[in-house]
Amino acid sequence: MKEPRVITRRDFLRGTAGVALTVAFHSGISAMAQAEQKAKVVLIRNAEVLTVGGKVHGEILRNMLDEALRALLAESETLQAWHRLVKRSDVVGIKSNAWYKMPTPKELEVAIRKRLLDVGVAEKNIAIDDRGVLHNPVFLNSTALVNVRPVRTHHWSGVGSCLKNYIMFVPDPSAYHGEACSDLGKIWTYPLVQGKTRLNILSALQPQFYGRGAHFFDRRYVWPYKGLIVGTDPVAVDAVGARLLQVKRTAYFGEDRALDVPPIHITVADKKYHLGVSDLNRIDLIKLEWSKNGQGIHSQRTGSYHREVFPANLISTDHL
Amino acid sequence: MGRRKSASDSLAMRVWILLIILNLILIPAQVAAGEPNEPMKLEISFPAETGGWKWDGKIRNFNPRTLFDYMDGAAELYLAYRFQSLDVYQLEKSGQPPLTVEIFTMGSSADAYGIFSFERQDKDAGIGQGSEFGGGMLRFWKGQYFVSIYGEGEGPELESVIIRLGKEVAQAIPKSGPAPKLITYLPDTQVGLIQKSIRYLRNHVLLNQRYYIANQNILHLNPQAEAVLAQYLRGTHKVHLLLIQYPTEKQAEDALQSFKKAYMPEATEKGFLQTEDRKWTMAKRQKEFILAVFGAPALADADELLKATEAKLKGKGI
Repeated sequence: MKEPRVITRRDFLRGTAGVALTVAFHSGISAMAQAEQKAKVVLIRNAEVLTVGGKVHGEILRNMLDEALRALLAESETLQAWHRLVKRSDVVGIKSNAWYKMPTPKELEVAIRKRLLDVGVAEKNIAIDDRGVLHNPVFLNSTALVNVRPVRTHHWSGVGSCLKNYIMFVPDPSAYHGEACSDLGKIWTYPLVQGKTRLNILSALQPQFYGRGAHFFDRRYVWPYKGLIVGTDPVAVDAVGARLLQVKRTAYFGEDRALDVPPIHITVADKKYHLGVSDLNRIDLIKLEWSKNGQGIHSQRTGSYHREVFPANLISTDHL
Repeated sequence: MGRRKSASDSLAMRVWILLIILNLILIPAQVAAGEPNEPMKLEISFPAETGGWKWDGKIRNFNPRTLFDYMDGAAELYLAYRFQSLDVYQLEKSGQPPLTVEIFTMGSSADAYGIFSFERQDKDAGIGQGSEFGGGMLRFWKGQYFVSIYGEGEGPELESVIIRLGKEVAQAIPKSGPAPKLITYLPDTQVGLIQKSIRYLRNHVLLNQRYYIANQNILHLNPQAEAVLAQYLRGTHKVHLLLIQYPTEKQAEDALQSFKKAYMPEATEKGFLQTEDRKWTMAKRQKEFILAVFGAPALADADELLKATEAKLKGKGI
């Protein structure tokens, strides 16, 4: 049997922008995966979603989610967009994140749950959970999943994001911490999860762009970005989230401060498990930015949001 | 309540320090590798107090098996530094954020240094054998103990009590211990050493956390092979120096060949090359040590750093 190829730092140096890494795994890449598929991710921001004290404005957040869904699925009606993701008959697990220092905002969980109810999913068929998913009957019988969590740096995987969020679907999470959590994508191939995820949402309301290990939440490294990153492709959503954190780190530290741990798992999820697109060049980022004065360059008005579309590798300090 | 505050403060603190000392002495003795130990139950009649923050009288204790319950995925980091036990204390003051004190008993003073060095980034606070304070968190090591103290908030009052508490805890730890000998082999600030950047590492996963080399253990790091990673300022560039000590010269040579084969297959003979970022990597062996430089802006910078390291090793009789 052929030995797995060693992935070294030099592979990253050869890679393209952001977290992309061009690696041919010995398992081979299917023809479909090799095709130049593209992904679409929506980044929406609203200046009013957080109060000065950092409290979340629930109604504005729900409107942001609605706006993002409409843009993502090119629908003019919110419920039409949701109908394309879930059926009334679905049993839906909302996989949240309960890390007490920086949990998924309750307002976001409420907004998702409300829209699922609006679509007609029975209340008994909706559950929100994190650490108890393996014992939650709704998750165990789920036909659909919505994946939602805050984006932050993570001291094992580089980025705590959507792919990482499913680590609670295995009974031995620590088994996936080796090699910078590179094999997190494997979890997405297990029957409890495979093919069920309809939507991935990274809360970037107050992302953590730098960390001090897993246990201490350092307030110096959180900033009020007031955004959501939304997509059906978890790899693309994560790649955008990782890029955003990298750009912020560079801006904050005044030097190219790469993530402490390269988020290999994002690339591996693409190249090995074919879960989505990790190459930022092939991710169309639809950026919706709310502004009071209605000004925006290269934009067209969409309600009170300005719409801009560009490859995700162009996320720069201008977008902070 | 009617007593003078200073008297009650002093008495409470003495009791508290005594309990910490008892805890530090007794808990490690209870811990056997792989065996859960019973949390130590201390009967106390009144809480300790520091600057108005009162200890709730409870000690939560964790062993290598239960540490995951306390800190999820972070546990591996501590286990890599031969973690033995953790005692967690909570202190509270009305109208103020609570304080958490974590006292980790590590396998040795080198391990305590290691866990401290792994996350080090802030200003020295002059506490214990090495410390830092920033963002409302104090971290220090002394002997085989690594301590972190933090509050769930900000403000000068909270920061000052954290420092005060840190000093008291450090004083309560009876013995200091040696830092890893390996760090004494690093070339010093004359060649640009960034003191805060020194990381003492026990396995390749930790190395990858601080400077990603490869997804496989191509340097053959193992519990008997220690590594130290440090940054050196060369002009405006930060260059990484990695120094690894193996139990034998043969193991060092095998590891070097493994590294070259995986990382620089086109330069195995020369032992140096310019990588895709136009910077230089250089690696060589001296006796049971591997010396490697990554990210040097010029070949001369890499060469100078390795030569300085070799000189340091020779100066130590190696």
